[in-house]
Amino acid sequence: MTHSSIVFWFGNLALVFVLSVVTLRSFTRARRAARSSWEDLVKRLQWIDPAKVEKIARDLIDEPVEAKGEPGKSGLDASKIREMIGGFDGLEILKNNSKALIDLAAHLQRWYPEALKVAEELRLDARELEWYIDRLRGAEKTGNLEISFPFYAQHAIAIYYRMGRELLTFCERTDPMMFASLQKAI
Amino acid sequence: MHLSRLDFIFWAATFVGHVALLCTLIGRNRVNKYPIFTTLIAVNIARTVTLYCVFNFGTEKQYSHTYWSLAILDVALQFGVVYELAARTFRPLGVWARDLRNDFAGLICLSLIVATCLTWLATPPARKVLDIVVIKGKFFSSVCMIELFVGLLALSATAGLQWRTHASRISQAFGVYSIVCVWIDIAHNYFGFRSDNHIFFILSRIRVCTYLCCLCFWIVTLGPDEPPLRQMTDEMRSRLSEFRPKIRQDLEKFRSRRLP
Repeated sequence: MTHSSIVFWFGNLALVFVLSVVTLRSFTRARRAARSSWEDLVKRLQWIDPAKVEKIARDLIDEPVEAKGEPGKSGLDASKIREMIGGFDGLEILKNNSKALIDLAAHLQRWYPEALKVAEELRLDARELEWYIDRLRGAEKTGNLEISFPFYAQHAIAIYYRMGRELLTFCERTDPMMFASLQKAI
Repeated sequence: MHLSRLDFIFWAATFVGHVALLCTLIGRNRVNKYPIFTTLIAVNIARTVTLYCVFNFGTEKQYSHTYWSLAILDVALQFGVVYELAARTFRPLGVWARDLRNDFAGLICLSLIVATCLTWLATPPARKVLDIVVIKGKFFSSVCMIELFVGLLALSATAGLQWRTHASRISQAFGVYSIVCVWIDIAHNYFGFRSDNHIFFILSRIRVCTYLCCLCFWIVTLGPDEPPLRQMTDEMRSRLSEFRPKIRQDLEKFRSRRLP
C-alpha cells in the first residue's frame, strides 16, 4: 500500500466518522427541539433580574453620548455594572438564555413563518453577544478586564435586553398565552 | 455487454417507479414547489428510455457514451435538488437568512475541498484512463452530496429551522441513498471497475435496490399534503412592523459607540 493510499483510507474513515457524529448530534438536537413544548423551552431560561438588565441596557441606549463628553462611557460605572449583573456568572446566564430565546423563536416559527425574521435577528444578536463575552474572557487573560468590562459587558446586556424585547413583542402580537409564560420567565 | 434477467427487472422497476413518482408530483401539484426535483425524475425517465433504445439498437461504445453523458446530467440535477431543498428550508419567506447565507456558502466550499482532496488521493485499480476518471468522478460527487446533506442537517438544527414535511422526506431518502453511494464508491476504489467483475454487479444491484426503496418512499410520502401553517393577521403584521424600526434604532444607537 502506498503512502497516498493509506492517507486516502484514513481520510475516508475520518470523514465517515465525522459525518456520522454530526448527523447523530444534529438529528438528536432537531428531534429534541421538535418534541419540546413551549413550557419546556421557557423552563430553560435561567432567572436573572429583568429590572437590573433593563437598567443597564437603558443606561446605554438612552444616555446621550455627546452629553457625557466621553464617548463610550456610560452613566453606570464598571463595578456597579459588574455587581448588578453578577460578574461572569451573570454573563454566562445571559449567553445560555440567548440560546434558549433562539429555540423559543424557532418553536414559534413552526406555526408562524413570520417568526423566521425574529429568529434570524436573535441568531445574529446571539453571535454578537457571544463575541462580547469572548472579548471579556480575552481581556481577563491579558489583565485588561477592568478597562474592558463596562463596554463589552454593557453591550452584551443591551443585546440580551433587545433579544428579550423582540421575542416578547412577537408573542404579545401572536399568542397571549405564550406571552404570559415568557414574560414571567424573562 | 451481458445483462441478466434480474438486471432487466431492476431496469423496468426503476422506469415504472419514476413514472409513478412523476405522476404523483404532477397530480398532487408539487411541480411548482420542487421544479428541479421534478426535472430530475423526468430526465431519469428519458434516460431509461434512451439507454434501452441505445442498448438494443446501438453499439457498446455508443451505449457507454450515452450512459456517462446522461450520468453527468443526473449528478448536476442532484446538486440542483440539494440547492432547492436548502432554499426551501433556509428562505421560507423568499429571502435567505443573513447569517445562514455565509454558512451555506462556507459549507459548499468545505465540501468541495474535502471531496477534491480525497478524490486526488484515490488510486483505483483500473487500467484505462476512462475507468479511473469514472470511478474518481462518481466518488467525488458522492462525497460532495453526503457532505452537503449532513451540512444542511447540521445548519438547520443549529439555527432551529424546521424542515417542511416534503423537503424533509426528499432529503431523508436522498441522504440514505448518498450514504450507500459513498460506501459503494469507496468499494469501487478498492475492487476496481471492470464489466467482468462480479463485485461490480453486486454493488450496482445494491445501489439500484436502495434507489428503488427511495422511489417507493417518495411516492408514498409526497402524496399527502403538508400540515398548514398559521398565518398572522394583517393587524398583527402591521403592529409588528411598527415595532421593529424602533428596536433597530435603539440597537444602532448603542452600536455606534466607540470601543474604549
